[in-house]
Amino acid sequence: MKKQGKPKLAFFDFTDCEGCQLQFANMGEALLQLTELVDIVNFREIMSEAGEDYNIAFIEGSITTDNDVKRIKRIREKAKVIISLGACATIGGVNGIKNRTPLEVAKQRVYGDKADSVNTIRTFAVHEVVKVDYFINGCPVYIPEVISVVKCALMGKPYVVPNYAVCVECKMNENVCRYEKDQECLGPVTRAGCNSWCINYGNKCYGCRGLVDNPAAAGQKDILQKYGLKLEDILQQFTLYNDAMGEKYDKEFKQ
Amino acid sequence: MIDREILLEKMKTSPYRPMKAKIVEMRMFTDKEKFFRFELEDNINLTHQPGQFVMVSMFGYGEAPISICSSPTDKGYLDLTVRNVGTFTDKLHQLDEGDVVGIRGPFGKGFPIDNMFGYDIVIVAGGLGIVPLRSLIRYIMYNRNDFGNIQILLGCKTPKDLLFGNETKEWQRRAEIKFNCTVDRADPDWKGNVGLITSLIPGVDLNPARTYGVVVGPPIMYKFVIAELLKKHIPDHQIILSLERRMRCGLGKCGHCQIEGVYVCQSGPVFDYSQIKDFKGECHEKAG
Amino acid sequence: MKYAVIKKDDLTKWLEHLKKKAKLYAPKKKENLFVFRPVKDVNDVCLEYIPTILPPKKYYFPQKEKLLRFSIQPFKTAKAISEFEEFILFAVHTCDIAGIQCMDVVFRDGPEDPNYLNRKEKMTIIGIECLKYCDDKANCTSMANHVPRGGYDLMMVDIGERYILHINSEKGERLVKGVAYIKEASEKDIAHLERVREEKKKIFKEELKAPLREVYEAFDENFHSKVWEDVGNRCVACGNCTAVCPTCYCFDVLDDMDLSLNEGLRYRIWNSCQMDDFAKVSGGEDFRKGRDLRQRHRYYRKFKYPVDKFNRYFCTGCGRCTRTCMAGISLIETVNSLLKENAAKENSIVP
Repeated sequence: MKKQGKPKLAFFDFTDCEGCQLQFANMGEALLQLTELVDIVNFREIMSEAGEDYNIAFIEGSITTDNDVKRIKRIREKAKVIISLGACATIGGVNGIKNRTPLEVAKQRVYGDKADSVNTIRTFAVHEVVKVDYFINGCPVYIPEVISVVKCALMGKPYVVPNYAVCVECKMNENVCRYEKDQECLGPVTRAGCNSWCINYGNKCYGCRGLVDNPAAAGQKDILQKYGLKLEDILQQFTLYNDAMGEKYDKEFKQ
Repeated sequence: MIDREILLEKMKTSPYRPMKAKIVEMRMFTDKEKFFRFELEDNINLTHQPGQFVMVSMFGYGEAPISICSSPTDKGYLDLTVRNVGTFTDKLHQLDEGDVVGIRGPFGKGFPIDNMFGYDIVIVAGGLGIVPLRSLIRYIMYNRNDFGNIQILLGCKTPKDLLFGNETKEWQRRAEIKFNCTVDRADPDWKGNVGLITSLIPGVDLNPARTYGVVVGPPIMYKFVIAELLKKHIPDHQIILSLERRMRCGLGKCGHCQIEGVYVCQSGPVFDYSQIKDFKGECHEKAG
Repeated sequence: MKYAVIKKDDLTKWLEHLKKKAKLYAPKKKENLFVFRPVKDVNDVCLEYIPTILPPKKYYFPQKEKLLRFSIQPFKTAKAISEFEEFILFAVHTCDIAGIQCMDVVFRDGPEDPNYLNRKEKMTIIGIECLKYCDDKANCTSMANHVPRGGYDLMMVDIGERYILHINSEKGERLVKGVAYIKEASEKDIAHLERVREEKKKIFKEELKAPLREVYEAFDENFHSKVWEDVGNRCVACGNCTAVCPTCYCFDVLDDMDLSLNEGLRYRIWNSCQMDDFAKVSGGEDFRKGRDLRQRHRYYRKFKYPVDKFNRYFCTGCGRCTRTCMAGISLIETVNSLLKENAAKENSIVP
C-alpha cells in the first residue's frame, strides 16, 4: 500500500472509561505495524496533538446527553467509516443502568439537589443514533478481534460479529463449564468473538458482548432451573452490561 | 487427458490449493449478474462435465462454490456467471480484466451426459438455473448429432433478467433446437410468453421413455416442474436436477452441503429424481 | 513378543522414556474434569479418568488448522505446514480409539485429506482399557467400544500390580523393545488378563434398550418423531455436543490476512451443525431451520448416515455429549425414547 493517502484514524470518547482505547494502546507490535498502514490523527491516550481530518472514526462510549447526539452526528458526517469500540458504544454497557428507572428518578439519585442543572438523556448505543459500519464488542475489547476488524475496515469488507454463543469458543478452549462450578455464566446466550477470554482465566461470562440474535430462551430457562437458579438471577446478571437493551431481554426471557 | 491427470494429481496432493485463474473477459448481464471468462494457469483445461462446479477463491475473502457455465468443448477458457448476493460475490464483481482469482475443481457430479446420448432432451431453466445449463446446452450444440430432439424452456422474472442475451437469441434461431421463453412480468416490448415456467410444460410434445428432463432453478421451482414432468410420464431416473447448498470444501468433508446422509458436493450437485425422492425432509426441492 | 508387562512402579520411568521419543500427550486433571495435555511432569499423568473435555481429536484434527499460505500480489500459494511432528497419545480410552477409526474412514474416503493423513502417520496411540464405568453417561457397551478392537499401537490393561501391554504394531513394539523394565508377559499374566476381562463382563451391560440393529431401524423409521421436537426445545445451540464429539469433523474455512494486507493464511476451524447459519445459502434459504432439525441431524450423523455410507456407527459411546450438555440432553435417553416410540408404533400397526 502506498504511503501517501494512508487512511486517517481518529478516536472519540463519549460516556466511557477509556479502557477500550487503552486496549488499543496496549496492542504492542501490531500497533506499530498498523501505523505503517494508517495515520492515527486523534488519540488522546497516546498522543498530544489532535488532528482534524480523519476517514475512520473509532467511537468509544455510549450516547447519554443531547450534546453527545450532536457531536456523534457531526462525526458521522465527516467519517467514511464508524467503528463502535467496546460495550458502551455497541450495546450501551454499564451506562445502561439508568434506562431501567425513569430519568428523573435516576437524576435525583445521582445528582441530588443539583439534578435540575444536569443535561442527560437515556443511554443509547451509538448505532441507535447514527449508522455504524463496524462493531467491536466487549468490555474491554479483545485485541485480536480489534485487529481483525481494523483489517476488514482497511480492506473494505464487512466484519461479521459471531452470532453464536460464547460456549462455542469456550468449549474449543477446553474450559470446564462454569455451570459445573455452580456459577451462573452468561456464555450460553452471549455473542462469541472474545475467544471466551474471561472463562479461559477462570472467570465467568458477564455478557459484555450482548445477546445472540436468536437466544434459546426456553432452553436457557431450563438450564437455570437445573442448576437451581432463578430467572431473576440471570436477568440481574444481564443488567450489568445490557440494561440499555433491557427490553430485548425482557421480551426474550419474561414470556 | 494430460490436463485431467494434472488436475487429479493436484487434488490428491493439495486439494485445498487453488490454481491461478486470470479474468480475460467480463460483462454485466443484468444489474446483479455478471459474466466472467477466465484463463487458467499453464493454459490448463478443466476437462469438466457440464453441471460440475468450481470453488472460487479471493484471498482474504474466502471461497465460494460457483457453477461452470462453459462447456468442456470450449477449450482454453472457463466461464462463470455470478449473481451479486453478498460480500464475496460483491468483491468478485469489483474485479477488473487481468485480475487474478484462485480456482479449485472441478467438483461433484455433472449431468449424466453418457446416459443422455441418443435421447430427446427437455431443458427447464428458471432464473439463475440457466447458468449450469448453458454448459450443457453448449455441449449438446457442439455434439448435436449425438442427441435427439432438444427443447429449451427458459423462465425468468422480467425480460431484463434474461441471461446470456445474444447467445439465447442464437439458440432461438437454430432450427434444430426448440426454444421457449416465459417471464413472470412482461414489459411493453415483450412478445413472448407470460407466466410461470410450469405453464410451458403441458404443451411440450415428448416421448417419455426416450426423454431426459433437465431442471435447474430456485428451490421453490423444482417441486412444481418435477410434478409436471412426472405427469408426462418421464421416468424418475430421467428427471435430472441440480441442487444448490452451502459449501466450504468441495471434498465431502466440511458438512455444510449435506442433505440427510448425502454430500451434495460429491454425490451432486446433479441428481436424478430417483435419488432424491426418498429423502425424508431435508430436500426442499422434492415434490410432495 | 505379542504381550508385554510393566510394573506400575516403573510407569513414570517409561513415561520419561516416551517423552524423549516424541511429543507426548496424556490425560491430566483440570479442576474436576480431565484434559489431554502435553506431558511436562510425568506425575501429572492420570490413568484413571473420565473422558477428557475434548477428545484427543484436537491433536489430529486441530480446532484451527492451517490449510494454505497465500499472497495476493503476486498470486502465490504454498503449503502451510511443511512438516508434521511425531507424537504419542498416551492412555487413550477404547471409545476414543474408535473415534479415531471413524475419522480415518472419513478422511481416507476420496478425495483424501492430506493434512489429516500426514498427521495420522506421525501418531502413535497407546490405549488403556477401562475396567469399570467412567460414569452413567457412557454407552460404550452398546456401541461395542468398551473393549479394544484394534486401531492402537499399544494397549494397556491393569492387572493388579502391573499393566499388561498388547503390542499391535511395529510402532508400538519400538516403544517397548529394549526397555529393561518391560518384560514379555508370562502365561500367568495372560491368565490374569483373561480373568480381568471375565470380571469386566459382569460390570459392562448394554446401556441402550435394544441392540444396535434395532436402534438403526428406529432411526430409519422415526425421522419425523416428537423426540426431536423435545430435544430441540431444550437445546440452546451452544455447540458443546459437537465440539466434544470424537467423530464430529464439520468445519468452516476462513482467511486471515496479516497486517501487510497482502499475505495471509487460510484456516479450517471446527464448525458445528448446531449453528444457525450452518446450512443457509447466500440466497437466504435455510435447509435445516430450527434446533430440532439440527439436533436430529447430529443424531443421524451418529446412528444412521455413516452406517449407510461406511457401515460404521459414529457414536463411540464416550458419553461426552451428555456430560457436556448444560440442558441435560442425554444421548442414552434420547435413543431410548426413540426406541420406545418405534416399539409403540410397531405395536399399533399390528392388527
